[in-house]
Amino acid sequence: MSAVVHAHPQSGPVLGVAGPAKNKRVLSEAGDRGRWWRFTAILIITAIVLVPIMVTVVLAFTPGPTSTATGLTFENLSNVFSKTLAATWLQNSLITTLSTVLVSVAVAAPAGYVLSRGRSKAVSGYSLLLFVMQSLPIITSVVPLFILFAAMGLVDNLLGITIIYVGSTMTVATWMMAAYFDSIPISLEEASWIDGCSVFGSFTKVVLRNSLPGILSTAIFAFLLAWNDYLVAIVFLRSNEIFTLPMGVQSFFQQNATDWTSVMALAVVMMLPPIIVFATLNKYFSVGGIGGSLAGR
Amino acid sequence: MTTTTAQSGLSRARKGIAPGGTGSGNRKSKLSAQTTRTFFWLLLPSVVLLVLIHGYPLIYAAVQATHDGDLLQTGDFVAGDNFAKVLSSPAFWKAAQFTLMFTIVGVFGSWLVGLGLALLLRTKIPAGGTFKVLLLLPWVVPIVVSSTAWNWLVATPDSLIPSLFRNLGLGTPLFLADPNLAAITVMVFKVWVSFPFMMMMISAALASVDSTVYEAASMDGATRWQQFSQITLPLIARSTYISWILMTIFCVNDFPTIYLLTGGGPVNATTSLVVLAYRTVFQDFATGPGVAIAFLMTMTLVVISVLLYRQIRKSSVE
Repeated sequence: MSAVVHAHPQSGPVLGVAGPAKNKRVLSEAGDRGRWWRFTAILIITAIVLVPIMVTVVLAFTPGPTSTATGLTFENLSNVFSKTLAATWLQNSLITTLSTVLVSVAVAAPAGYVLSRGRSKAVSGYSLLLFVMQSLPIITSVVPLFILFAAMGLVDNLLGITIIYVGSTMTVATWMMAAYFDSIPISLEEASWIDGCSVFGSFTKVVLRNSLPGILSTAIFAFLLAWNDYLVAIVFLRSNEIFTLPMGVQSFFQQNATDWTSVMALAVVMMLPPIIVFATLNKYFSVGGIGGSLAGR
Repeated sequence: MTTTTAQSGLSRARKGIAPGGTGSGNRKSKLSAQTTRTFFWLLLPSVVLLVLIHGYPLIYAAVQATHDGDLLQTGDFVAGDNFAKVLSSPAFWKAAQFTLMFTIVGVFGSWLVGLGLALLLRTKIPAGGTFKVLLLLPWVVPIVVSSTAWNWLVATPDSLIPSLFRNLGLGTPLFLADPNLAAITVMVFKVWVSFPFMMMMISAALASVDSTVYEAASMDGATRWQQFSQITLPLIARSTYISWILMTIFCVNDFPTIYLLTGGGPVNATTSLVVLAYRTVFQDFATGPGVAIAFLMTMTLVVISVLLYRQIRKSSVE
């Protein structure tokens, strides 16, 4: 996604959407005025859309009802860390999410390569199967998995939810990787085969090495899904010290519904990692995961 | 020919041609067998996970839906009793109705907002790129966080937005306490969460449209509306179709957006099928009927996704 396109300075006169070329001079003034109207419109819309997020941030740094501080304060944040298990929840969330990202990409990349390069009946059948599976409600598999995992001691266990996250991100991740591999010309691999490289060798040395953008998009997708999940967490996690952040925020919110400044401080802790990922890697933020890979394939 | 190493196996696999055929067949088929073996190992971890996390639970869910067990034991076989019980309960149909409304509003609401913003952001606007990034935030911020914020904004009569209404002399709407209003609030929340996805899909489709098409059209005297309906819409039709069906899947499967804002209430006004299935299993401990609900949804979604898959295949061949 090119965030710079619109900000790119134009040397010529500025046109409206589809102003005819011959009326350039006449339109440039009207176009200029239209530009600022549109700027005002989008500014207002963006401001309204972001109200819930701004409210969260402002409240998180506003002194609480019992506080003596004035102006903006970090008191709520430090309170949340000292009075709740926020640090543990953050750690749990980071562990499960990062493991999900690593394993999901490690499973999806080779599978995506086969989906991209193989064109047998079995391969396209598998591609359909992955596609159907990603669209099914998690609630259907959650109940049987709960019984299976209970027998294996994986309920109320971070490994248990990580396995489910890997399973549920893997389908879309495979499609995303396949869509990216489609864009890598096979001639690159052919060159390496001439040099005596095996298929596996060319996959790791040629294809993967050229796939960083695809890997990052897939990783971001898996990160957001695992970080934001609530349904799997609410079913599988029981004890406070095993909670991930969504459970932590939710349970804290239910117990302290009036202590908004602390609730919002915790919410900010949860919101920060995805926003950092988004801010630093935003050009790899693909069109909503599956959407981009579907439109691209 | 020195290039008949792994390449032949791959290009064959790509075209779906059986090994053997032209040239020194013996050597080639051996090599493509090697390619097949590599493919097998590359695919294996994914297959194992798919069977464990998707295949096994789906089969076991079919077992549970036809038994009267609970979370600890399978129970006795009751054939279609659970389905009959579910299909004859008013709660199921009420939830199905809400899910339908929620999905229609979620899909078309977010599409309209996303389309409007994508068209606006496509024009030259100072700092347009920054706005584009900022407007994606509702999609990036965790639902747990945004639902908390929405709660703060609308939950009680003294929250910010009800107070605003009161000060404007519009009464004090109880956004989460009034059944109809709560349903609307949840849908607006869903549109707020989802429009960035639509905006991204449409922006990506619009980016590939050649702007000279518009110049030619306006030289021929086409109005703005004609340009939009005759050029823009047809050109983004494919990605619009894909985004509609995907959003339908997202909406039908949605749990946190609804559950975290209203918990399915008041008086079940915002109970969707997923929320109903979750409550039936984990709050009423009626595993059979709960899984039966999930199973009915699963069947519907299989149909929807196969339709989508075929459409994608068809249009990528064109």
